[in-house]
Amino acid sequence: MSLYDIRGLEKTYRVGEVETHALRGVDLTVAPGEFTAIAGPSGSGKSTLLHLMGALDEPSAGEVILEGRRIDRLNRRSAARMRLDNLGFVFQAYNLIPVLTALENAAFVLELRGMGRRDREARAMAALDDLGMAEYADRRPNQLSGGQQQRVAVARALAAEPKIILADEPTANLDGDTGHALIELMRHLNREHGATFVFSTHDPRLLDSVDRIVRLEDGRVAGEEARAAS
Amino acid sequence: MIALAWRNLWRQPRRSLTALGAVAVVVAFSTLYYGIGGAVGNSLYTQLTGSGGQVQVHAADYRNVRDFSGTLIPDADRVNGLITTHAGSGEVVGVLDVPALLIHGDRSRALALQGSDWPAGVRRAYLSTNPLTGTFVTPGDSDSIVLGTSLARALGVGIGDRVDVYAPGTEGFGAASYAVTGLVDVIDPAAQARTALVSLGAAQALAAPDAVSRFEVHFPDVKRVVDDGVSGSVAAELTPQLPKLQVETWRQLSPGLVKLLNAFGPMLAVITLIFYVLAGLLVVNTIYLGLIERVREFGVLISLGMSGRAMMALVTLESVLLCAAGAAVGAAIGTAGVAVLGRGFTIPGFQQYMASFGMDPMFYPSVTAAQVLQAVGFALATGVLAALWPASLAARLEPAEAMRFAA
Repeated sequence: MSLYDIRGLEKTYRVGEVETHALRGVDLTVAPGEFTAIAGPSGSGKSTLLHLMGALDEPSAGEVILEGRRIDRLNRRSAARMRLDNLGFVFQAYNLIPVLTALENAAFVLELRGMGRRDREARAMAALDDLGMAEYADRRPNQLSGGQQQRVAVARALAAEPKIILADEPTANLDGDTGHALIELMRHLNREHGATFVFSTHDPRLLDSVDRIVRLEDGRVAGEEARAAS
Repeated sequence: MIALAWRNLWRQPRRSLTALGAVAVVVAFSTLYYGIGGAVGNSLYTQLTGSGGQVQVHAADYRNVRDFSGTLIPDADRVNGLITTHAGSGEVVGVLDVPALLIHGDRSRALALQGSDWPAGVRRAYLSTNPLTGTFVTPGDSDSIVLGTSLARALGVGIGDRVDVYAPGTEGFGAASYAVTGLVDVIDPAAQARTALVSLGAAQALAAPDAVSRFEVHFPDVKRVVDDGVSGSVAAELTPQLPKLQVETWRQLSPGLVKLLNAFGPMLAVITLIFYVLAGLLVVNTIYLGLIERVREFGVLISLGMSGRAMMALVTLESVLLCAAGAAVGAAIGTAGVAVLGRGFTIPGFQQYMASFGMDPMFYPSVTAAQVLQAVGFALATGVLAALWPASLAARLEPAEAMRFAA
């Protein structure tokens, strides 16, 4: 069974009389355990696709089905609940909470779920350890480099053990080597923990270790490419 | 979440401190207002009860009786014993008021001569606000009289002079001569001109043997309204025991002044409410500006799965913590201020006004724990109300739009 089943997805933004068609009918499936990249140039609709997959926005047309349940027309409360229980997010701008430590950031989703302090800190610490960030647990984001902050963000997503982690241009604010190292780390977690990753990127150099590449152009799927596992 | 809310407040420390300071100032002022209101109330209370006691027993319908005999309580010793039994720690004082004419030479004044044997505690409380020159009358002394200073001046007498007194009695008109042994500077100018005090025995011998006009129950150690839990209970116990007499508390004896006393609370509440509204607007501004600066962050929190309700709770918690911190500081400053002022202070230019009501011009502020908690409670309520609008805005943010927001 597919984890994600996306059918005929469209998204149009209207600003005054100007319409921008960000997505023009995207069909996509994602299987559990996949490590998939959404590749395409800037403005191709990658972020919009990930936002709709994360129920952060509503499509203009089409369906987004997660494990057999439509998630594209949920009300605000149900969408938040669905995200909390099923999804993990990694953003381009890291988006850590600046007043919390790395450990507290990593444990934040678990706190939203109502997990007790001891348990959530243990899981968060384990996730930080997986990301090589355990020794920085008590540092605040402004005391970490960009690459370190992004690793904490990945730990935050991973600690909650979601069904899928959606990462929107996770390496865009990192230098080439750091970005590549992050993707390799995510790939390692995908293999070790079986976590499903879907990430967007415009950098073709980051596509070496993915299972599948979905290429977007001008809001449409221009092609898909399966890669051998490495 | 509490840690997150608290730390969020200190992202802009200057702004948060300004709002916190405003709340602290309002709570401190509220506490001081309550303290000063308490001081005025206590001053009124000691004025009302210092001279007449917390409970009084009179002949039935005494206010409407014109005949002197009709105002008297017969069998005074038996009634005294009964009242003493039910008065607990109160001191029972029998008082005989005799309408009399005081004469010295060619000067005379008509007034109510008061005969009473004041216990030491009651006398001490009376003289603490009404200074005495000379000596006070003592129980059993049938020759001495104490006059108000202005009354003595009107009669042209001083300490050592004698005054003659004529009065209607139960056994015909009586006459006596007394030596002035003391002059009392009664704080109420009107009362000073009609104060003439003799012993109870002297008044009874002059006008009404074995009778009194009233009994007063004094609790001289009770000096604050809030500490007066005894008046009502003593009156309630005495009333069924004395069915032919009228038992009244100090509140019933001076309903007009008690209304003034009761008006302080609502008046203070209205004044402090205005200040709380102003402080609340500053808190709204602080929370709202914090919201605007963190719209993108709120978008991220919603993306991570924070519900609208949790978002509202977070924003409200920030506001409440801000106000709670301000309230704690303000309550500390306010209670310390009341403690310092509680040693007594006067308001320049206000002494005459106070004296015209017969009240001590010295203020002794006091505040109860309930009043401080009320001020703190108002501050916390301000925090909740101030957060309502910003919290509802935060809860309605669309995550994708919020994360694109540039403040």
